[in-house]
Parts: sequence; structure tokens; C-alpha cells
Amino acid sequence: MDTVQKKRVLVVDDDNNLRNVLLDALSASGFEAKGAANGEEGLATALSEHPDAIMLDVMMPKMDGWQVLEKLRADSWGAKAKVLMLTSLGGMENVAQALGKQVHNYIVKSDLNMDNIAETVNNLIKNPIV
Amino acid sequence: MLGYIIYIAIFLAFGLVIWYVVHAHSSALHARAELEAERETDEKEREEIEGLSTSTKQSRKLFEEAPVPYFILDKGGVIKDINKAGLRFFGVMPEDIVSKNFFSFIAEEDAEYAGYLLTCCNRSVPIDNKEIRIIAKKGATRWVELSILGITEPGSAEPASLATVFDVSERKNLDQAKTEFVSLASHQLRAPLATVKWYAEMLMHPSMGELNPKQQDYVRIIHEVDADMIELVDTLLNVSRSEIGKLTVEMGPTNVEEIAESILTELSSQVDKKKMNIVRQYNGLLTDLKSDPKLLRIVIHNLVTNAIKYTPDGGTVAIAFRESDGRHIVTVSDTGYGIPAADQDKIFTKLFRAENVKEISSSQSTGLGLYLVKSLVAALGGAISFQSEENKGASFTIAF
Repeated sequence: MDTVQKKRVLVVDDDNNLRNVLLDALSASGFEAKGAANGEEGLATALSEHPDAIMLDVMMPKMDGWQVLEKLRADSWGAKAKVLMLTSLGGMENVAQALGKQVHNYIVKSDLNMDNIAETVNNLIKNPIV
Repeated sequence: MLGYIIYIAIFLAFGLVIWYVVHAHSSALHARAELEAERETDEKEREEIEGLSTSTKQSRKLFEEAPVPYFILDKGGVIKDINKAGLRFFGVMPEDIVSKNFFSFIAEEDAEYAGYLLTCCNRSVPIDNKEIRIIAKKGATRWVELSILGITEPGSAEPASLATVFDVSERKNLDQAKTEFVSLASHQLRAPLATVKWYAEMLMHPSMGELNPKQQDYVRIIHEVDADMIELVDTLLNVSRSEIGKLTVEMGPTNVEEIAESILTELSSQVDKKKMNIVRQYNGLLTDLKSDPKLLRIVIHNLVTNAIKYTPDGGTVAIAFRESDGRHIVTVSDTGYGIPAADQDKIFTKLFRAENVKEISSSQSTGLGLYLVKSLVAALGGAISFQSEENKGASFTIAF
């Protein structure tokens, strides 16, 4: 019997197609994956379920990824949550630095491969918070 | 004897009279000639003066009525005179602007550059079509092309310059809008392109079940074409960011060998497919270069991709590092099709593709790669050069 608990990943992205294929890829790679369709829902799910990793889209209506991150970091658990920002934008380090946010990693969506998504997420989970 | 003396005396007297008459006549003639010459000179001078006066009036009219703002500056840049177009440009009356320093109207953002231009003006160094921002009418910032030319009269103790200003704000705004549109479009395209890519990759994943050979082929093609689109969008985005000055350069310790190896790993499937020979000549160098690793990766990635793309199957691509005269040098060379001599002066221009590879590259090349490479190398403080001969390969060298 496989007693190893699956790592839980929360995907927050308002693009349904993108979110669904990510969830499929994560499930196929052995993760327990859950989705949220907007920033508000994503923040609530993260704070209530404490996933091992969060893949967080930047451009979302109502509450964008940066706003979610800010509120997350204000929480005692959220301050140490492992977050990977998903973006179509560039210059992410500057934005993160300017906002004084702790971002473990960001990835341009078109650079992410489904083949190595497991490696990407496992690395995110393993790396300590900087 | 007396008669002889009298004869001599009369002869001498006669001679004296003749001499006197001739001399007087000559003097009279000379005087008349001088008078006529003087009259002619006066006439000529009068004509010249009149001509100059007309010319001066014409020049003044040209200055006043020119459609382009003109300013006469002294050596320190103080406005001594201004034409009507200049007054309209600043929205002022002459008394509001004459005696003010021209360079005080340059916008805060270009203050440092203004200092340099003032120094040029002080030293009578011509300034030719330099783009700069000026605070114009109603405090509006306008982009202009500034030219300053010395017009000091020889021997004059008062150095003077003529400054002209050509308003290019509309053109700049249009360029900015175009570039921002490309940037926005590129961002908006990336998300759906990523979606297509991920779905294609999941279709090829074992967990999705087995596809028949035709389906596998179709999915592979979807994935490849999507990858080409992603590359095009990335290049357009980088070019547009470079042109609107939003490219951020973050200099830091850069391991160029690691970058090269990462690129070769990424392109390994293409290398294997074309059965290419990769030569590495790192020589243990450039493991700690001061550069921007992200931008340098884009540069080397472009050069290596081109080398592979434009070399026939079985050819060789080499990446070499060396140091020379304090410069750090990266060379990417290949044994490919080379660049025809007639095309070499255009190789770094936008959308250019050499004649000899148009058929090979038509569907795969953006025509922007080398343009982007040159921009990025310049942003990194380096220089790029190349050597090539048609059908004998090409060698691109970046020196920092």
C-alpha cells in the first residue's frame, strides 16, 4: 500500500483551459492538484488548506497575483508558503523586488514544459524560503 | 661766346617749360585717372553696400520667416535673437525669452545630456540632430532634433551660434505607440500559445493513452509550430522592449560556460537530428563574467540557433571563449552556408534574411534575431562582429 502522501499543489489561474491542463499534468505526475479560478478564491483556499506549493497566475481580474501574494505573506503560515508565479510578462524579479515580495520563483508560461512540471514543482517544494 | 650762352639759356628755359607742361599734363591726367578710379570705387562700394544691404535684408527675412525655430546663441548658450517660429514654439514674446539661456529649457530628464550639449556649444563644437526633450509652450515637453552651428564672423570678438529645433514629438509618440502595441500583443499572445503547447505535450504524455502514428505526427507538428510561434513572440517582445527602453540590464556574476551548456542541452534534439558536431573550446574561461545572464543567454541562444539552422546536416558548430587585451571574447562559428558578401552590410537590420538561406529559413526565422542580438550586446556594453564567406560558414564574435 502506498502510504506516501501526495504533495498538494494549488493552481490559481483565471484561464480555465490553462488551469485544467495544469491540473491534469500535476495529477499525472503524482501530485494532488486543486484549482482556483480567481485570486480571491485562491487566497481563501490557500489559507484554509495550506497546500505544499502554489502556482499563482499574475494577471487576474478582481485580485491579481501580486495582491494575493501580499495578503498571503501577511499570514503566519502564508509567510512561508512556496509560491511559483506564472506569467506572460517579463522583468518579474524587478517587480518582486520593487514590491518587497518573497517570490521563490517565477516562470513565463510558454517556457514551462509539461514534461518537467514534476521537477519544477518538487524543486519549488524542496527549496527553503530565501 | 655770348650768343652761345644765350642759346644754351634759351634751350634750357625751353626745356624747363616743356618739362613743366608735360609734368603738369601728366599730373592732370593722373589726377583725373585717380578721380575716376575713386569715383568708380565709390560706385562699386555703393553697389556692394546696396547689395549687402539687400542680402542682409533677405537673410533677416529668411531668419524671421523660416518655418523652423531658429535661435542665435552666444558662447554661453544665452539667446540673443529668436525668429517667429521660435516664439510660437515657446509661446512667448521676444522680451520673455531673449537673454535667457537656451539650455535652461531642456527637460529635467535630459539634464545630464544638456550639460554635454552646453559644453559643445561653449567649445563651438557643432551639434547635429540630437534628440532631446524641451519644455515648450504651456510647459509641454516636446521631443526635438536639436542642431547648433557656429556662425561667428571672422575676427569678431563675439562668438555666436545658430540653434535650430525640429519638433519630432508626433513621430516619437507614434513609434512609442507602435512598440507598446507590439509589446502588449506579444504578452497577450503568450498565454494562448502556452495553452496550446501544454495541451500538445499532455496529448503526448503516456497518461493520456496511446495515439496512433498519424495522431502522434499531428500532435508533434502542432507542438513544433507552436514552439516557432512562441519563439517569434519572445523575439518581438525583446525587440520591442529594447526599443522602448524597458529592457532591464542587471549586471552580475555570470557563468558563460553554464549558459552555453544549458543552450546546447536545450537544442540537443536539433543537434542530434542534423547529426551535427559540436566543438567546445571554453578553455576554463568566462565562469565569472560581469554581465546580465538572462540577456547574455538570449544573445548566445540566437547565435547558436542560427549556427545550427544555417549549417547542413553533419556540419560543425563551435563555441569558443578567449581573453585578449583585457577583453572577454565569445565566438560562435559554423561550417554552414555563410553570408554572401552583398548581404553582409545588412545582416543586423530588422527583418533581413540573406538571399542564400531564404528558402531554408522562410518559415522558421523571424528576421529579427541578429537585430536583437546587436541591441542586447550593446546594452551589455559589448561589441559584435562577424566574418563569413558564402558556403564556408560564419563566425560571430562578441567582445566585452
